[in-house]
Amino acid sequence: MQPDTAAAAADLSIELPRLQHVLSGLIPHDLVSFLDVWGGNILALCALILISVLMTRACSRFTEVPGRLQNAVEAVVEAMENILNDILGSSMHEFLPFLGTLFLFIFIMNLTGLIPLLHSPTSQFEIALSLAIVVFCYVQMVAIRKLGLIGYIDHLMSSPRDLVGWLLAPLMLLLHLIAELVRPISLALRLFGNITGEDALIAAFTGLGVLALSGIGSPVGLPLGLPFIFLGMLFGLVQAFVFTILSAVYIAQVLPPEGESHAKNPIKS
Amino acid sequence: MNYLSITLPLGVCVTALGSAIGLGLAVTSAMNAVARQPEAAGKIQMLLVIGCAFIEALTIYAVVVVFILQGKM
Repeated sequence: MQPDTAAAAADLSIELPRLQHVLSGLIPHDLVSFLDVWGGNILALCALILISVLMTRACSRFTEVPGRLQNAVEAVVEAMENILNDILGSSMHEFLPFLGTLFLFIFIMNLTGLIPLLHSPTSQFEIALSLAIVVFCYVQMVAIRKLGLIGYIDHLMSSPRDLVGWLLAPLMLLLHLIAELVRPISLALRLFGNITGEDALIAAFTGLGVLALSGIGSPVGLPLGLPFIFLGMLFGLVQAFVFTILSAVYIAQVLPPEGESHAKNPIKS
Repeated sequence: MNYLSITLPLGVCVTALGSAIGLGLAVTSAMNAVARQPEAAGKIQMLLVIGCAFIEALTIYAVVVVFILQGKM
């Protein structure tokens, strides 16, 4: 699928008004079209700055008895550690910074769509796809660094050691290559589809609430979209979680077997 | 109005039906597993979330197809 097709399709889908469209009479037309294209990227940048500032402030002065911010950040990091420990085992600490940042970044971007007049950057296919491509490149880099180039190709051929293995090696290589290339697309489509669908759901029910009272000339509508905002918060958390967990599973699959911790990885996508 | 206005909702409907059956089976098994071994609840829950993501991704693909074809309706 071409990203521009998806973007055009996303523009057609129902959504709540954006800030630049509400203010379109007050700000120049060029700025409106600029924000239409780059708004998601600007929001993503804001999310990054927010995470950086929060984390820097939490880490700037560690105390024995943690303050409120440090306590919250420690709780998040400990929860991430527990989850990743099941998947990655002892090498978890090497990948925790990347995966934790990924989780927080996607989570905050998903929640941005619930703020009135803003939209989720992850409901643009380009941004979801770029996140997935980052994960893809990171997994390839980890694989080549841990296994070596020859070792990685051997891993892709399912480590042939006997005659049957070598006969099947070209087939295995092809299958593994296709699997590697499909992963970023499926990761991106899952995130993009879920967040777009959730935003469209909230917009549809908010519109319905406005429509319900428009017959009697009421200036305000029923808050029918409200329950779906809570659903949206849950979806944003679950999708960020799933994206992070799947990235961790992809990393765990290319790590060299280290006895017990490798056997702990039961998912073969 | 053309045939897409019937087939697009129908496509999502059929994929959602399939996903619902799959999710039902997965959640049933997970609940059984937790009931048998409550101490493994954390691990089972994580596997369940990953599995559910894979299952429901298929419905999401159908929804994405609807978004793409919406312009032709």
